[in-house]
Amino acid sequence: MTDNNERPFKLSVSDEDLALLRQKLELARLPDELDGAGWDYGVPLGDIRRLVARWKDEFDWRKAEAEINTFPQFTRDIGIDGFGTLNIHYIHQKSSCSNAIPLLFLHGWPGHFMEARKIIPLLTSASPDYPSFHIVAPSHPGFGFSEAPRKRGFAADQYAEVGNKLMLALGYTEYVVQGGDFGQMVARKMAHTYGNKTVKAWHTNETIAKFPNFFSNPMLYLLALIKPLTPWERAGRERTAWIYKYGKGYFQEQATRPQTIGYNLADSPVGLLAWVYEKLVQWTDEYPWEDDEVLTWISIYWFSRAGPAASVRIYYEATQTGNIQDIYTWWSPIPLGLSFFPKELDVVPRVWARTIGNVVQESEHDRGGHFAAHEQPEALAADVRGLFAKGGPAFGVVRGKNGYD
Amino acid sequence: MTEPSDFTRHPIMANGYEQPFSITVPPEDLELLRKKLEVVTFPDEIEHADWDYGVPLAHMKRLVAHWKDGFDWRKAEGKINAFPQFTRDIDVDGFGTLNIHYVHQRSAVENAIPLLFIHGWPGHFMEARKIIPLLTASSPDQPSFHVIAPSLPGFGFSEAPKQKGFALTQYAEVAHKLMLALGYPEYVVQGGDWGYTISRKLTFMYGGKSVKAWHSNFAPVLFPSFWSNPFLFLAALVTPWTPAERAGLEHTKLFGENEMGYIKLQSTRPQTLGYALADSPVALLAWIYEKLMRWTDEYPWEDDEVLTWVSLYWFSRAGPAASVRIYCETMRAGELKSLTANRSSVPLGFSFFPKENFVVPKLWTRALGNVIYESEHERGGHFAAHERPEDLVSDVRQMFAKDGPAHGIVPGKSGYA
Repeated sequence: MTDNNERPFKLSVSDEDLALLRQKLELARLPDELDGAGWDYGVPLGDIRRLVARWKDEFDWRKAEAEINTFPQFTRDIGIDGFGTLNIHYIHQKSSCSNAIPLLFLHGWPGHFMEARKIIPLLTSASPDYPSFHIVAPSHPGFGFSEAPRKRGFAADQYAEVGNKLMLALGYTEYVVQGGDFGQMVARKMAHTYGNKTVKAWHTNETIAKFPNFFSNPMLYLLALIKPLTPWERAGRERTAWIYKYGKGYFQEQATRPQTIGYNLADSPVGLLAWVYEKLVQWTDEYPWEDDEVLTWISIYWFSRAGPAASVRIYYEATQTGNIQDIYTWWSPIPLGLSFFPKELDVVPRVWARTIGNVVQESEHDRGGHFAAHEQPEALAADVRGLFAKGGPAFGVVRGKNGYD
Repeated sequence: MTEPSDFTRHPIMANGYEQPFSITVPPEDLELLRKKLEVVTFPDEIEHADWDYGVPLAHMKRLVAHWKDGFDWRKAEGKINAFPQFTRDIDVDGFGTLNIHYVHQRSAVENAIPLLFIHGWPGHFMEARKIIPLLTASSPDQPSFHVIAPSLPGFGFSEAPKQKGFALTQYAEVAHKLMLALGYPEYVVQGGDWGYTISRKLTFMYGGKSVKAWHSNFAPVLFPSFWSNPFLFLAALVTPWTPAERAGLEHTKLFGENEMGYIKLQSTRPQTLGYALADSPVALLAWIYEKLMRWTDEYPWEDDEVLTWVSLYWFSRAGPAASVRIYCETMRAGELKSLTANRSSVPLGFSFFPKENFVVPKLWTRALGNVIYESEHERGGHFAAHERPEDLVSDVRQMFAKDGPAHGIVPGKSGYA
């Protein structure tokens, strides 16, 4: 059910906004640092100093903007029950394969729609050897170039509703979903709410799961008790323990007082840079970030339509509505593919992850972290292709669109 | 009574010279602040957010406008400089020399009790501004005090440590050496927030010999532990809570659920947060103002009052980012557990204010140590010295009064002429 609501979109940050950023960077005041601090207390001063200097004097935003604009982007109004209409921004890249599978890619925080930049050409390419996809990669409300909700309570149900209505508006009555971070929460909610209606299968690279519960999963419970952890899984548990011990300050603040931290993010590009860059480095698997790559990423937050403060509210809303606890109850019978990356935040043993849904595929990797689509695009694309390939466990789930010509 | 060994155990090295000090923020710093305030970018706000999501936007806009155009820092600076301030070098084992800033206000009463006032976060030495004139006043009817109110290392106008690992032991060492340097080998301590924690550490390190008594208005206590306090544990189980205590526990629970994000952040990634606090006056204002409002008992903050408070952080010698490291360093040093588990024997006075962050039944607080004085109030919150100076001073006076439980505890300094 396509309609005329869609408008083509080209990112075009105003000259005033660029000038203001420059002004703020020129007035930047940096803190000192303890001797030999390294990463022990947060982002090292040397990194910030170098990035701020580059952002101020050398980084070419217009060039980055032009690269972003090579992706076909649009906006359209989506009505959300109880929240009025929000103008939603998205990439919509079709494959040349006419039977391509419609796939909704859901980013998280501090991610954005361009996390899909490397997997879009891979997943949309046509070949007799693997399935192809039409990719829809939106900015969640409050992120990137989508409007932000005005009222409180915009949580998993609403993000899921936006995703579903967007796909339907684009004419995709049946589709599949891929997501990590909050994208995983939304994907899971979509599988639960729309599974077998519009959503036919889903894939995630963030395996948030608890030890199996005896009453809901007796077999998995017993298996989890008996089966010893593999070295990979043991390392994963250590990784998760480290994240929970040292890396959850941002979560607690954003989940309780998003507006207070929002003043930091909205007023100080240096503050925003440090806040997001810390995740880009600590959540990835030694990914060799280039300065311009980082600055493009941060700039998308800085120049976002609703401003960076709006993006962190998702933590508050998800916590207040109980999404964070309830997520484990959002089971769906539709096929689910899992990718396990060693430096993800929640790295769980395989058996635990099978409680997430109807797991039909598990792919374990030796490299890669939280931003899988950006760090390990070939690996992630291969996993998604494998899920839907001829002979794969979810082949042909979308009627009339099996991904092959 | 002082003993020579007290001095030899902690020799004060470095030149030991005291320098008078006045705050004089350089004009360039004032100019930079003004320029930053001129290019402020505000976020939007959820409808009807009130305080649920954090500091309301209307408050921030009002305060920033005033900071930019109406607030007179030089006037505020002048008022602060009416208090006698000094700096001196203090040598800290393993950390070299730190230049420490402090207010030192003596009473006209020669035998006034030396009282060390220790601030916390986001407090500062000027939290003592209202209690200093009260405590130092002389009268035949109440004890008087000489008041020493330092800026903790990394706060206010004290230097910050450069090396990793500066934790409770070091903060206590600085405080103690300062008192010795000022000629007070025996003294009493008052503190809330980190002031409480550092005071407690002082009692363990120098209690009995130097630290004769202490008073606090804050204690992050938990339910008494059976292992360290079996009697209190059992008593706590059976004693019915009063309505006030029950309300206090509910208040504490809400604090734990909603207000502790800053602790988790500052105790794990202080530097990451520090970039925003150093670079954006608006970020710093929101970060601190939230505590000034949420932790007090409907205290009628005036804008100039708030802006003076936050400016002390903005213009601090080491910058605002340094101040939050105390959370990380003390957690990592692992000193907090033993601090709570062990019972302090130094006489302790405690004042209960209903809107403190942690409000727990009296029984639990008695597990803290040798509680010789308790006082309960109807009004007041975390920043007791600032919000309820008369109440706090009255309590401290009663504790050390002629008929008080700690009278004459500092030999030769009864507080009376």
